Amino acid sequence: MAKDPFETEALTFLDPLYRTALRMTRSEADAEDLVQETYIRALRFRDQFTPGTNLKAWLFRILTNTFINTYRRRQSQPEFTELDDVDEFSLYKRMSDLRAASSSPDPETEFLNGIVDSEVKDALTELPEKFRQVVLLDVEGFSYKEIAEMLDIPIGTVMSRLHRGRKFLQKRLLDLAQERGIAAVRTAPQKG
Amino acid sequence: MDCDDCLDKLYVFLDTELSETDLASVRQHLSGCDDCDDNFVFEARFLKQLKDCVTSDVAPSELRQRVIDKLRGPSAPPPTR
Repeated sequence: MAKDPFETEALTFLDPLYRTALRMTRSEADAEDLVQETYIRALRFRDQFTPGTNLKAWLFRILTNTFINTYRRRQSQPEFTELDDVDEFSLYKRMSDLRAASSSPDPETEFLNGIVDSEVKDALTELPEKFRQVVLLDVEGFSYKEIAEMLDIPIGTVMSRLHRGRKFLQKRLLDLAQERGIAAVRTAPQKG
Repeated sequence: MDCDDCLDKLYVFLDTELSETDLASVRQHLSGCDDCDDNFVFEARFLKQLKDCVTSDVAPSELRQRVIDKLRGPSAPPPTR
């Protein structure tokens, strides 16, 4: 069978779709189902795609809609947190506070180098869903406007969720580093 | 632009979503303020590390074949033009 160019191009986005599905559903089996459903819908509604526009964004829109309409209903209670307690958190400022007391000449670099992927992924898993979605779409390279359109929320909401999502991850990663006791943050004052 | 104004625009700047006017103001402030500049550099490194970590995962190889089979299988919708 001759290769269908639409199918070929759509399949180049399998990895980003899968890893986003995995972090959204927090389950490998659900992620695989979600990705397959996304491709089936994409093929079914391919007439609605305008050639020459952003196919990756179009596929991600199908993925997020499918997730919201199908998988989220099965999951636990919706989260109502607004994460406003992390709004003012600044990892940079906390690192600056530590610098005087730290034995490390460059605590920032030591902190960043000490972060392991599994901690980042654990922190992402803990991030409440509406913030997690925005962070995941951002790391895949979508603009504020594209994310706003995918999730059907205002651009200002994308910006505030992204801000708080990042702050939450930073705070969580600092907590984990302190639990691990890395030198750069060992003397950290327990505040905030 | 003072430090607070500049830090308010930190992520919008790093996300390359800032307007031309604000971009010039932020750049001007950063060129004269080491603390804000260091802060921006640190945040940029953090965001890059986050992105590199999250985007390193790939789909299981069997999934690709399963998707292809579904798309071409008997229940697949006929290609439309």
